[in-house]
Amino acid sequence: MHIETGAARAMETRLFRSMFEERKRVFVDLLHWDVPVLAGRYEIDQFDNDSAVYIVIADAEGEHLASARLLPTIGDHILGTIFPELCEQAPPRGGAILEITRFCLARRLRARERLEVRNRLVSALVEYALRNRIQSYTGVAEWPWFQQILSFGWACRPLGLPGSKNCLVALQIDIDGRTREQLQASGIWRPVGLADFAKAA
Amino acid sequence: MIGLGQFQDFCAVAATIRDSRALAGLMAEITREMGFRYYALVHHIDLKPAVSSVHIVDYPPDWVERFQAHRLYASDPIHRASHRTNVGFAWSAVQSLITLSAADRSILAEAHDAGLGDGFTVPAHIPGEVNGSCSFAMGSGDVLDQRQLPLVQLIGSFAFEAARRLSRQTQAPCEGPSLTERQAECVALVARGKTDWEISQILGIGQETVIQHVKDARDRYGVTKRTLLAIRALFDGQISFADVFGR
Repeated sequence: MHIETGAARAMETRLFRSMFEERKRVFVDLLHWDVPVLAGRYEIDQFDNDSAVYIVIADAEGEHLASARLLPTIGDHILGTIFPELCEQAPPRGGAILEITRFCLARRLRARERLEVRNRLVSALVEYALRNRIQSYTGVAEWPWFQQILSFGWACRPLGLPGSKNCLVALQIDIDGRTREQLQASGIWRPVGLADFAKAA
Repeated sequence: MIGLGQFQDFCAVAATIRDSRALAGLMAEITREMGFRYYALVHHIDLKPAVSSVHIVDYPPDWVERFQAHRLYASDPIHRASHRTNVGFAWSAVQSLITLSAADRSILAEAHDAGLGDGFTVPAHIPGEVNGSCSFAMGSGDVLDQRQLPLVQLIGSFAFEAARRLSRQTQAPCEGPSLTERQAECVALVARGKTDWEISQILGIGQETVIQHVKDARDRYGVTKRTLLAIRALFDGQISFADVFGR
C-alpha cells in the first residue's frame, strides 16, 4: 500500500500518475462521468488539492491495481459540497471523519483479481483509519455499490434515503477496534504490511 | 408506514441478531409496519448440496408448496427480472424489465390465486456470490404505497445483509468449488466458445495442458459438459460476464 498527500506531489511519481490515468479509464471512459480530464490522460478535479490523500495498491512490479482518494470533511468534499441533500441531517464533518471518493479498480483485472484487490484496498483503508485516529469514513455510492459496501460486514449505515433520480446513497462507516474482526468474519480482511506504513511515513 | 427512525431501529436490532428465527421475527414485524403481508429473503439457487445460502420465507403456504414443486427458483419471472436491475422494483412493473411469456403469466396468476398481491423486490447482487433478493408482498387487492418504496429498498438491503451474516455463521464460507487462476482463465475462454487448441494458442500453453485444466475444472464442479462448466463458474462468480464479453 502506498500513501501520498496532495495532488501536485502525487503527480511527481509514476505510480500515482498511473492512478490518475486509471481514474480516467474507469470514471470517464467506462462510467461516462462528467468530470474534467487533464492533458487527455489524467482525471483530476477540483477536489484533487493539497489536502487530498491517495491510497494505492500496487502489484509486485509497482503497477497500479487499485486506489482511493480520501478528502478531509472539514473542507470542501463531495458529500458536503455537491450532495448535501442526500443526508437527512447536515453532512458529517470533523477532523476524525474522512470522505472516501474515487474508489477505483484497474479495468484490466479479471473478476477474481478484482475481488482480491478490492479486499486489499478496503483493508488498507481500515488500517489507515486505525493508524491515523480516523473514526469514520463517509461517502456517496450508487445503489449496487452501496449493497456491496454493506456486504463487507463493517458498521455501515445510510445517512438518508436513496435519491430517487440516480439512486445515490450517502453513507457513513464507523471504524473502531472491532472493524478488523468484522471484515475477517466476512472474508474481506487482508493483512496490510507494517513495512508499507514505514515507507509511507 | 414507517420513517427513517424505524429503519434505524431495524438496523440496530438486525446487527445484533444471532439466529434465523429471531431474524424471521424481526422481518415479520417490519413487514407488517410497512403495510405488507408477506416477505421472502432468499438466494436464488436450487443446488445440492446447498452452499451456505439464505432462505427465510413467510409466503402463503400454498404458494411455497407450488414454488418448490415446480422448482421455480430460476424461472420465476420476478427472480429473473431482479437479475436485470440493481434497484428495487414493484411487481406490477415487471414488464418494464423482462418480456413475459405465457408461462410467466401463468406463474404470476398462480401466485395471485394463492393470495399474493402486488409486491416489491430488492435485488441483492454481491460480486462473487449467487444472486439473491428480499421481497415484500401485499395481500391480493391491497395497494402498494409508492412513497414508502425508498425505505423499503433500504430495509430490504439491510435485511438481506443480516441474513447473509447469519448464513456465514452457521456454515463455513467458500464451501463451493473454487478454481485455480489458470483454470478460471481457461473456463472464461471456454465460455467464449473457444476450443482447447484455440485456448492453448491464446494463453501460449500446450493443448494437453488446456485439456487437463478444463478437465480438472469440470471435476471440481462434478459436471461432464463444457457448457455446464461455464454456466456453473459464471453462476458462482468464479468468472464474470465481463471476463467472457470483454470489459
